Amino acid sequence: MTPALDPLLPGGILAGGVLAAAASLWLLLPNGPDRVGTRRLGMLLGLLALGAFIVTGRRLGGFGEEAVFLIVSLVAVVAAAATIVSRSPVYAAIWFALSLCGVAGVLLVLGAQFLGVATIIVYAGAILVMFLFVLMLAQPAGLAPYDRVSNEPFLSALAGAVLLGVLSLSIGRLSAAPSACCGLPSRAQATADAAAAAAPPVAAAVDPLAENHVARLGGELFGRHLVAVEAAGVLLLVALIGAIAVVARGEGAHASMGDDAGRAVR
Amino acid sequence: MNSPQSLAMLQNALTVGAILFSLGLVGILTRRNLIVMFLAAEMMLQGISVSLVAWSRHHGDWGGHVLVIFVLTVAACEAAVALVFVLQAFSRTGRLDAAAWQSLREATVGRTVDRGLPAADAAPPPFPTLTQAGVLPAPNEDEPLQREHV
Repeated sequence: MTPALDPLLPGGILAGGVLAAAASLWLLLPNGPDRVGTRRLGMLLGLLALGAFIVTGRRLGGFGEEAVFLIVSLVAVVAAAATIVSRSPVYAAIWFALSLCGVAGVLLVLGAQFLGVATIIVYAGAILVMFLFVLMLAQPAGLAPYDRVSNEPFLSALAGAVLLGVLSLSIGRLSAAPSACCGLPSRAQATADAAAAAAPPVAAAVDPLAENHVARLGGELFGRHLVAVEAAGVLLLVALIGAIAVVARGEGAHASMGDDAGRAVR
Repeated sequence: MNSPQSLAMLQNALTVGAILFSLGLVGILTRRNLIVMFLAAEMMLQGISVSLVAWSRHHGDWGGHVLVIFVLTVAACEAAVALVFVLQAFSRTGRLDAAAWQSLREATVGRTVDRGLPAADAAPPPFPTLTQAGVLPAPNEDEPLQREHV
C-alpha cells in the first residue's frame, strides 16, 4: 500500500471482503430448493470477497512468486468454499481433494517440500479415499434431505465472518519489528542479522530451511523429537486397534439387539 | 529471516490459513452430513498447517514443520476412528444425518425440524449419458441396490 492512501482504506476493504464472504456463504449454503439466481448472487459476492483479499494482500516482490502463490491459494480457498457449499457429499469430497492440492502448492511455495508432498500422499491419497469408501458404503440414492438444508446458515456464516475478521485484524498488525517480549526469533534472527550484515538484502530473502531440506527435517524429527515420534507410533497403533475393536463389538451388539431396536431412531 | 519480504509472505500465508480455518468452522457448524462435517474439520487442520509452516519459514525454525507432521499423524488416526463411528451411526439409523442423533442435545435447545423441503430437487443434476449400444442386459436382483446418481 502506498502511504498516500488513507490508512483506514485497507481495513475498510478487508472488512467489506469479510462481510461479502459471509453473505456469499449464506447465499450459497444448501437451504431448501436450489435457485439459480441466489447461486449467481452468492458467486458474485464470493468473487468480490476474493478480490478484496487479493487487493489487501501484501506484495511479495518477485512477480513469479507472487503469481504462483496467488494461483495456488486461490485454488485452495475456492475449492474449500465449494467443499462447504456442495450439496452432494461426493462432490464435496472431490472439491476437498482439489483444495488439498492447492494447500500442498501453498506449502511448496512456503518451502515445505516434504510436507507438500506428504499432504498429497497422506490426505488425498489415503484419508480422502477412506472418506469416499464410507460415502459409497453409506450414501443413499440421490440427494438426501439433510444434504439440502443447513443448520442456521446465517448465524454460522456470521460466526465465520467474526472469526475471519478478528484473525485478519491481528495478522495485519504483525510488524517486522523484532518481538522483544517472547524472545522467539532469537537464534534465527541472530543468524539472519549476521547474514543480512554480510550479504546484500536480496540474499536475506533466501530460505534458511531450503538447503538439504528433507534430510535436515528428518534429522530434526528423529533427533530432537524422537520421543514424540515414538508416541505418534503408539497413537497410530491404538487408533488402529480401537477402530477394529469398535467395528467388531458394534456389529456384535447390533446383531444381538435385533433389527427393530437398532433402527428405532429412523 | 525478518526481512519485509518474509513478513509479507508470512502475512499472506497466515491469511490463507485463516480463510481455510474459517471456512472449516462454518462448514462444521452448518452442514448436517457427518462426512461433510469431518471434511470441514480436516479443512481446519489444513489452515493450521499452512499457518504453522508460514511461521516456521518466518523464524527459520523446524518446529512448525515437525508439528505439521504430527498434525498429519493425528488426522490419520482421527479419520480412522471417526469413520468407524460414522459407519456405526449409519448402521443404527440408516442416515448420515447429524440431526438423527438430536436426542443427545441439550434440554434447552429446540428440536431440528425440516420445513418446506420438497421431496427432491425439481430437476436432477445433469449427468452425461451415453447412447445405448449392444443388447440390453437382463435385470438382476441387485439392481434396486444400485443408485442412478450420486
